[in-house]
Amino acid sequence: MAQSGKGKLNYRCPSCFMRDLDIDMFYDKDKDEFYCMRCQYTGNEKDVLEKNEMIRFRYRAMDKRFTKFDFD
Amino acid sequence: MDKFVVNIIHRPEMVPEYAEKVTGHGKAEDIGRKALLTESLDIFKTQQRIAHENGLKTTIQMTYASLFNEEAVELAKADHEKYGDEIALSLLGLPCKEFREKYKTKDFCIWMFSMEDKKSIVDDIFAKFHEIFGFYPESTGSYYMDADLTNYIKEKYPSVKCAVATCWEEGPKAYHTCNNSWYTLFDGGPWNPWIPSKQNTHAPAANEAEDSGIVAIPHLSRDLIACYDGNGSNFGTHPQNVLRGMIYDSKTWEYPYLYNLIDQYRDLEKYNNGYAYNMMFVGPAWMNKMGRWEAPYELLEKSYSDGCAYYGKLKKEGKLVDMTMAEFADYYREKKSYTEPECALWRDILYGSDKQLFWYCDPYMRACVNMDQGGAIVDLRPYAAKLEWPVGIGTKHVQDASYPFLIQEKYRAGYFTHYAGEGTVRSAKLSYNGEEVDLCLCRTKAHFSEEGKTRILTLDPVDIEFYDLTVKLQTKIYFEEGSSNIKIERNILEMSNPEAKVELNEYMVACYGTTEYPEDMMGITLKCEGASGQEINYEYKCREAELAGAEAVSAVIPAIETKVSMTASDKAAVGYVKEGYAFSPMFTLGYTKTISDKEVFATWLNLEKAN
Repeated sequence: MAQSGKGKLNYRCPSCFMRDLDIDMFYDKDKDEFYCMRCQYTGNEKDVLEKNEMIRFRYRAMDKRFTKFDFD
Repeated sequence: MDKFVVNIIHRPEMVPEYAEKVTGHGKAEDIGRKALLTESLDIFKTQQRIAHENGLKTTIQMTYASLFNEEAVELAKADHEKYGDEIALSLLGLPCKEFREKYKTKDFCIWMFSMEDKKSIVDDIFAKFHEIFGFYPESTGSYYMDADLTNYIKEKYPSVKCAVATCWEEGPKAYHTCNNSWYTLFDGGPWNPWIPSKQNTHAPAANEAEDSGIVAIPHLSRDLIACYDGNGSNFGTHPQNVLRGMIYDSKTWEYPYLYNLIDQYRDLEKYNNGYAYNMMFVGPAWMNKMGRWEAPYELLEKSYSDGCAYYGKLKKEGKLVDMTMAEFADYYREKKSYTEPECALWRDILYGSDKQLFWYCDPYMRACVNMDQGGAIVDLRPYAAKLEWPVGIGTKHVQDASYPFLIQEKYRAGYFTHYAGEGTVRSAKLSYNGEEVDLCLCRTKAHFSEEGKTRILTLDPVDIEFYDLTVKLQTKIYFEEGSSNIKIERNILEMSNPEAKVELNEYMVACYGTTEYPEDMMGITLKCEGASGQEINYEYKCREAELAGAEAVSAVIPAIETKVSMTASDKAAVGYVKEGYAFSPMFTLGYTKTISDKEVFATWLNLEKAN
């Protein structure tokens, strides 16, 4: 089994991101999966991208354009 | 006249902080690598081009490494001539072959070096800059500039009048986000420009004697809600930080949040005599060709272009003035007095919560009022102490440059604790017939006004519902310029039973520290001040003392040379102090008073230096 490397983009662990941790993942080409060194997350690129969409659940106003910043 | 000022800063960083580790993956470290140098310079050129295409001038902060690069020097000179860009000198970007050979270290953060090395490095860089350009710079900066460093620079190079001097709330949270490997620990400073005192960079100068001689600007303009709770590096006027936070539509590559953030900063002119400010400072590593985390280069470049285009559009519409750092320092000195506070009534623009905070900063304190907790003070930094806090190798604080807090709801609990002990907060409780309600549970909104030199927050009234009594209460919070205190007034607007008597308990639970972890509370002295005053020397013994008609209740915290006290408007109030215990390493100051319908009761929170 060869050493792991990084993918074409440098994906972070979605599970750690959810707890405010930026952890670069490494890519295991034998298993075609990214894995996190800090936690137990593993997933292929499709799964990472899906989880990255899920992460955005907390940004409920992410797409909104505000024009008023007080409550007067 | 209303003015929204932006500083756009670029640095030709020949060996970007992240690039060697991130983009050089799989290669042995070589900071002289030709490809790295070429790419870094290309990014700088791209950033300059984008700013200029949008009609914006920049401040070019030359790095030490770039002073050895003829092309970088010529680019800076040419853009200074053509666009009026300022040529300044950054203390970031130290790493290069020449630096490593001379200083035999991989350290790169100027505030962490020994004082001897700081002086030597500053002299080296300033001399090199002078040799190349024939003058000394007017602006400098780093992620943090400690007071000793600034004082040295100002004394030796008096032309310096502006510096990037802190990153707002970049402390333990940023450290944690980076897997406990990014040592930028400097919470507790101002979010907008200020004049640092000679004693402590974070604490603004109260007068000419304390004036360090520079105008400080923060590294980026950061979201005053999101950054307080989350990773600072996701929520600022740094387009790629917004990408880092994944605050964009991954299909359309749109990020309205960035514009909302800029616009909310523009809106702050309402609270600051018609002045508002933004700073954008993107290091080259954030635009490298290999992309950054999930974002490909095209998105990185687009976000920077869009950010500049938005500032450029505001400029064309006459809503923005672009300045160099040195120009801004002159403007700021003319516009602001020492004691004029910086105020920000800030709403959530990201999570859809309508949560609202009020941030206040002057030479005596930085305070945060949380309207989601009934106007409780949830963060308090006692600048009145002007704490001398040397940082760097050879001091007691090699990395930790944060200004200590008395109250910090995220690090030291706040209202909610896990079923034992107390957390830091300044709030009030009402009791009636055995029931108790804390105002922290009364969500409300605030409105800002000014009366003379006093800034006033008027909160929407809240209803406190007991089993057989409803009390309508309104809180007003007064920040009187130069007073070093906060007055909190409770107005009983209505009681469902006008004859009812309710106990009001105005309290402050506090401790001290710069991180999540407790400090030693031994040595703190708690007092009920008055004719028959009582005193408790902190020994974790859970003791209490009270005094009817107390002139003040106070705590002296020698470790941070601070005295904090509360005083009351009515002699009928009973002052009290509470010592904590090992599982609750806090102290409490407070006043209780029986109140009736239509009554008004005020207390003051006062801060002083104690030494």
